[in-house]
Amino acid sequence: MATVYPEITVTAVAMIVLVADALLDRRRAALALPIITIAGLIVALAAVFAVVPPGQYFRGFVTIDAFTSFFRAVFIVLAIFAAAVSPPYLARRGVPAGEYYAIICFSTVGAMTIALSADLITLFIGLETMTIPIYVLAGIQRTDRFANEAAIKYFLLGAFSSALLLYGFAWLYGVTKATDFVTIATVLATQGIANGPTIVALALITVGLGFKAAVVPFHQWTPDAYDGAPTPATAFMSVGPKAAAFAAILRVLIGALGPLYVDWSAVLAILAAVTMTGGNIVALAQTNTKRMLAYSSIAHTGYILAAVAAAKAGPSASAAVLFYVFAYGLMNLGAFACLLYFDLEGTRGASLDELNGFGRREPLGALAFAIFLISLTGIPPTIGFVAKFVVIQPVLDAGLAWLAVVIALNAVLAAFYYLRVVVHMYMYDAEEKVPGLVTGRTLSVSLGVASFAVVILGILPNSIYQWALAAATPLVR
Amino acid sequence: MTNVLSLLVVIPLAGLVPLFFFRRDERAAKQVAITATFVELLVSLWMVTQFRAEAGFQLVERLEWLPSLGISYLVGVDGISVFLVPMTTLLTFIAVLYSSGGAIKTRIVEYMAAFLLLEVGMVGVFLALDLFLFYIFFELMLVPMYLIIGIWGGPRRIYATLKFVIFTLAGSLLMLVGIVAVYLESADPSGSRTLSLPELIEVRTRFPADFQFWVFLAFALAFAIKMPMVPFHTWLPDAHVEAPTAGSIVLAGVLLKAGGYGFLRFGLPLFPIGVQAWLPVLIVLSVIAILYGAIVSAVQKDLKKLVAYSSVAHMGFVTLGIFVLNLQGGVGAVLQMLNHGFVTGALFLFVGIQYEKTHRRMIADLGGLANIWPVFTMYFGVFMLASLGLPGLNGFVGEFLVLLGTFGSSLAPPLGGLFWGPLAAIGVILAAVYLLWMFQRVMYGPVREAYRMLPDLSRLEVACALPLLVLTVLLGVFPQPFIAYIEPSLDQLIRLATDPSFMVVASK
Repeated sequence: MATVYPEITVTAVAMIVLVADALLDRRRAALALPIITIAGLIVALAAVFAVVPPGQYFRGFVTIDAFTSFFRAVFIVLAIFAAAVSPPYLARRGVPAGEYYAIICFSTVGAMTIALSADLITLFIGLETMTIPIYVLAGIQRTDRFANEAAIKYFLLGAFSSALLLYGFAWLYGVTKATDFVTIATVLATQGIANGPTIVALALITVGLGFKAAVVPFHQWTPDAYDGAPTPATAFMSVGPKAAAFAAILRVLIGALGPLYVDWSAVLAILAAVTMTGGNIVALAQTNTKRMLAYSSIAHTGYILAAVAAAKAGPSASAAVLFYVFAYGLMNLGAFACLLYFDLEGTRGASLDELNGFGRREPLGALAFAIFLISLTGIPPTIGFVAKFVVIQPVLDAGLAWLAVVIALNAVLAAFYYLRVVVHMYMYDAEEKVPGLVTGRTLSVSLGVASFAVVILGILPNSIYQWALAAATPLVR
Repeated sequence: MTNVLSLLVVIPLAGLVPLFFFRRDERAAKQVAITATFVELLVSLWMVTQFRAEAGFQLVERLEWLPSLGISYLVGVDGISVFLVPMTTLLTFIAVLYSSGGAIKTRIVEYMAAFLLLEVGMVGVFLALDLFLFYIFFELMLVPMYLIIGIWGGPRRIYATLKFVIFTLAGSLLMLVGIVAVYLESADPSGSRTLSLPELIEVRTRFPADFQFWVFLAFALAFAIKMPMVPFHTWLPDAHVEAPTAGSIVLAGVLLKAGGYGFLRFGLPLFPIGVQAWLPVLIVLSVIAILYGAIVSAVQKDLKKLVAYSSVAHMGFVTLGIFVLNLQGGVGAVLQMLNHGFVTGALFLFVGIQYEKTHRRMIADLGGLANIWPVFTMYFGVFMLASLGLPGLNGFVGEFLVLLGTFGSSLAPPLGGLFWGPLAAIGVILAAVYLLWMFQRVMYGPVREAYRMLPDLSRLEVACALPLLVLTVLLGVFPQPFIAYIEPSLDQLIRLATDPSFMVVASK
């Protein structure tokens, strides 16, 4: 039982939030709910670091290792951040706060379940537990047409991809007669060259997980879902589920399908190149910051996928995935959260012109936004740069020099649209009549902490990288 | 004290702290920035006194930084960098001092913060001996300069600054791939890897020929864009024309040097075979830069653009001196970098001062300024003459040594030193043509009525220009003490770059 204390804690937090929401009046709830959520999540974070001997639990359905702890911690930290930036937005837009915080917690439980899965069944349950709350989150503004569209699109494509994934799992079971990763890997290794059914299973699983991670050409749901969802929810959606999708990809592809490395790595390398280039080129054409960040998150999927494709390089490849996921989570959540300053009634996202003069109107908020954008571009001394460095390393090591060059050139493309935002914030003056800014103390404090972390961890990334390296080691057996 | 180099990195950073607290007080912000850059200048001069005229890295400091990746914080100076650092601190101090006099009117606190951050990057580039650290400082120069051009620049500043950033990033990100490749290739049998330059020089025998070919190309692209070498120079005129005066001083004076310095510090010693392979291309491009830069300067209508294009020609001398791969050429290249920093920095300063007074930059709108501004004319004339390479001033020494090295170079493929030497010498003549012609049109002739009441140099402007004038004359008359510092390190470098054991492989 002690093995899943963090998951139990997060579930309990969600329950408490729902009950408290029913008991408290509206004004008190607005104050109390975020505090309950954040405090509860911090307790869960502490439970992650409680000593549990690594190994298999629950008859091999659950595995606890450094990988599990890493992802659990990342998911909880992202959820805390998402909860901290939300209150002013929820109050303003009349979003039901109790449901909102509970959904974030439930989704986090699902993500954590993926991290500790040792079996296809656990993994699938985790994936669905994570995704279904997100469908609700996307459409939580029931009266907003765009939110409805976003939720329906996301739900239909998500259900479709889950079906594909499940079908792939079924084929895999047919081939190996097992659902746990260790046995699957052993059977596949003894089988030798991949036969027809194995390839079918592999293809279906790749496509299914590709949908979840928003890999081009399975990304079409992303911009609409991100754009239509309430901004703090977008911030969470763009990082939590993506990190979870990569946890699943690592568990399945490297943990279970590792023996088929030769078959999937070339495909993933090409998908990675297509994803980063496609995401960046479309992002270049956007004039709405929220949509631009949505497309740019697709590009980042490509960078992470490149590290997965470089699995031949050993633990450094998986460590790169972990490090990048962490860095991306921090900076992308921060960047989306900065859009909350502009989120007034009747606006959607922030057009570039709305950002004019932001540097003067809200100097510290603009500074934080600039730091997140510079980090997303990959310019030192930020964590985004270190992430690029640790991704390029296994990619080159695996002999994929062309992919490393594609990453570098894509970062230049990305610089153009990220820095264009900085141009609008600092180099254009605001027009005569501008809508006011939305400020809030928790928002400023969270952004301050996160942007500070982006710089400090960019200068001193050693501990995080070492942790990622330790977490990646149990994957490669 | 042995931590003088880290002190140089920390002082400008420390200056940012009071700036944060004085962010509503412009006067205090100016004083903080001036003080910080002045202290930095003094410390850098003190560092020079600690330096002995010998080969090898001195004042080295090492700290474990990323042990899981085998990366350390490693700084040190040798004869190549020992003068580039005080040059940087002097030019930054002058830039900040000049800007505090009223040239910048908006958002002064942010402006000063950008300059301090820029100084960290610039000083760090010349001190870093670990490729990872070097890359961080190399990129750290980018963001502040991007803001300086983009916020305080001229009318087309946004186009210019984005072009500057995109060009530079394209080069440096390819260099990042190159750095990672070097990192992976440095693995010894036990699997430990490194990015520290002294260790890499020891293991460079492990770098295979085709590896060196491609990785040197990645490094060379980054440095060639930064220098800039033709045909990667197109960002430079735009950036210079739009940048505020102080931005131009530092951009021309220091940022361009990061490219030439990168070639010397990392390109030559790490990739001897790569250098051999790309040598013909680089020499041809250098000579093209010298001639093209001079010809294009001659036809400029805009005074600032003229000085900008003359930088392209001067940087051509630097790369030519580096790639003839002999001692005279190399020493000439290092001196040329210093001279260009002082002289072109000063020329941009005077173009800026002139613009502040007349609000005109088109050469056709100016004229007769010598009649009203005697002091200005004296200073501007000396720097102009130094820029065209008049003997007795510093510009001559560097260019002469580079030409000497080129003539004496048996290597200089594809046609030999006796072909490229005279061609480059034509560039010196062309420089005299465009600079004297410019000086004549701007300074002599009838003076416009509107300018008659404009004041000559102020005390602040003299204070900014005087140190540069002294150095220009000093380096021109007594170059020997400086050469004595540079020579041992460069001698060692040339030996590393032309190691015969590699030449055998290259000729195969």
